[in-house]
Amino acid sequence: MADFNVNLRRFESVSIIDVKGYLDAHTAPMLESVFNKLLEEKNFRVVVNFNELNYISSAGLGVFMAYIETMRQNNGDIKFTNLKDNVYNIFDLLGFPLLYEFYKDEKEAIKKFIDQEKS
Amino acid sequence: MQKLDNTTALRNLSALIDFSNLINSSLDLDFTLNNILLTCLGKFHTTKGIIALVNDSLILEVKASKGVSENVIKSFPALKVEEIYNKQEFNEYLISNSFEILQTINSSAGVKGILILGKKFTNLPYDESDKEFLKTILNVGATAIENSLIVNKLKSVNRELDTKVNQLKSLFDLSKEFSGILQPDKIGKLLVYTLIGHLLVSNYAVIVCEKDNYTFLESSFNENNLKTFLNECLANKFDKPVLSNELKKNYSTIYNAGIELIVPMQIKGETKGLILLGKRKNNLPYSQTDIEFISSLGSLAILSIENAKLFKEMLEKQRMERDLETARNIQKNLLPKTIPELSNLSLVAYNISAKIVGGDYYDIVKLDDDNVLIAIADVSGKGVSASLLMANLQAFLKSICKQKLPLNEATNLINDLVVENTMMGNFITFFWCIFKNSTKQLTYVNAGHNPPLLIRNSTITKLKKGGMILGFLPTTVTYVSETIQLESDDVIVMFTDGITEAMNKNFEEYTDERLEKLVLENSKDEPESILEKIKESVNEFIGGAEQNDDITCLIMKVR
Repeated sequence: MADFNVNLRRFESVSIIDVKGYLDAHTAPMLESVFNKLLEEKNFRVVVNFNELNYISSAGLGVFMAYIETMRQNNGDIKFTNLKDNVYNIFDLLGFPLLYEFYKDEKEAIKKFIDQEKS
Repeated sequence: MQKLDNTTALRNLSALIDFSNLINSSLDLDFTLNNILLTCLGKFHTTKGIIALVNDSLILEVKASKGVSENVIKSFPALKVEEIYNKQEFNEYLISNSFEILQTINSSAGVKGILILGKKFTNLPYDESDKEFLKTILNVGATAIENSLIVNKLKSVNRELDTKVNQLKSLFDLSKEFSGILQPDKIGKLLVYTLIGHLLVSNYAVIVCEKDNYTFLESSFNENNLKTFLNECLANKFDKPVLSNELKKNYSTIYNAGIELIVPMQIKGETKGLILLGKRKNNLPYSQTDIEFISSLGSLAILSIENAKLFKEMLEKQRMERDLETARNIQKNLLPKTIPELSNLSLVAYNISAKIVGGDYYDIVKLDDDNVLIAIADVSGKGVSASLLMANLQAFLKSICKQKLPLNEATNLINDLVVENTMMGNFITFFWCIFKNSTKQLTYVNAGHNPPLLIRNSTITKLKKGGMILGFLPTTVTYVSETIQLESDDVIVMFTDGITEAMNKNFEEYTDERLEKLVLENSKDEPESILEKIKESVNEFIGGAEQNDDITCLIMKVR
């Protein structure tokens, strides 16, 4: 079984998801359940930290597609940070940078949410 | 004068060397084209210029410009390289926009494009040396342009390859994953995730079709809108992908619902489901490669869904077989294990269950030293439900026996119990009798059962007295019993319709007449022998045809 781990943290009003290992068709449901939990709790501001993610498949990308609209409709968003080059390349290849915000560092993404809240 | 010429030539040469160094230092096409244009603008003191390159369709396309407005670029006519000198439209374009000089950009592989420049700021015409210098610049530039184009092409080929590799990975990933999943809804979910992740779509539906039925595995569309559509045009009509243009033309309702692509999911060329997709978030159209990818994914998914369905059916079948086995065991345990011995009566019994488990029942209960009760019944229905009803009947019968009621009253009671305890439409045909050993009297009640045959002196009397079948209506008209004085050598044959309705391969029935004739001919024999003859005769008649009903037969002979 592919190694995948997902962890949820909070920073003020922002939820941070740490993804680790391989995100593919097999492990996608684990990420999905985290997103479902966030929706239930009405947490729509999400930063996904890819620091320890080594591989992402199309099914993994699909999970983000499935939740982005709901998050945005509720004045939230999903922002991506700390991507390794090989993972970013897949996002880039499929045109994700057109739709999502990518940041080098998690702090930048969190700051964006918090600034937005203040304004 | 000579010195001035030399100085000019020297300056041109040094400018060319600088230009060549600069332009070959980068593989970026925009950088190269910009520098060519800027060098020309500076050298010839002109305020505008355009470079148009030949694209994949061999048409000139503006790739860089300086000092010209958006409109001028937009109005650049679509023309092929060989038309630049003889197309009136292009000539007019050059004149109206005050372009004065045109030079082709040539490489070893032919003409790559053109450069056009505006009037000189000084209003002086371009002289021969200007034209020569321009040619030289473009000759140097052409190589840089070609290199940049090749690099661009390589980049795009690489990207295409990466996309293909990614698609293959997805397919591989899913084929691995699908094979282990046996729930169609999970398969649908993974399929959708892969599709929306790969193609950047957020509106989708996965529909599984079975004949005229369809189920939505996944859908983000308004299902009611789609249902109308699916009712209008049967899903199995789609045997190849349908793109937005055709949808707009032929299926406007579905196009208006936001669907841009329909891809059938097929097994051996037969459409078993549909994938419906909305607009892509990056506004790109669905390419042939995309559609091939979706089709491959769809085929993988539908195959797994079909397998999951077959697996479920297999489980269901196994469960049913287990149920039948249970039913068979219940029935077997309800039948009497031993037959009581009486001085004035020989009795044999035979029962065989049909494959699907019917509901024949018989019982022999010794009431006291002198009386024995014999019952035969056929419970409606098959399988577990028939077995349970039969078990009920046995319980009623055993407890009523203990009350020592007259047989007709006992029948009233048993009927009411059955009515109370059965669902609508279930009933029992029932015959029971009490044989009194000391007097050889037989008292019986027939509740709608095939009348047992009493054979005495080569004539048959049918034991019909009683009332209607058990379980049909509460007892209002009471059952009647009859008591007959039996004599030595009287034979009574009780049976269920499994015998008289036994069917051969031509769907002909064994019939009452055949049975009656047979027992008449053999009534002198012992009960065991009569039973054997009946079994033989029925078996011979059906000739191996599978039977739907149980066969039960009881034969008694008075001594």
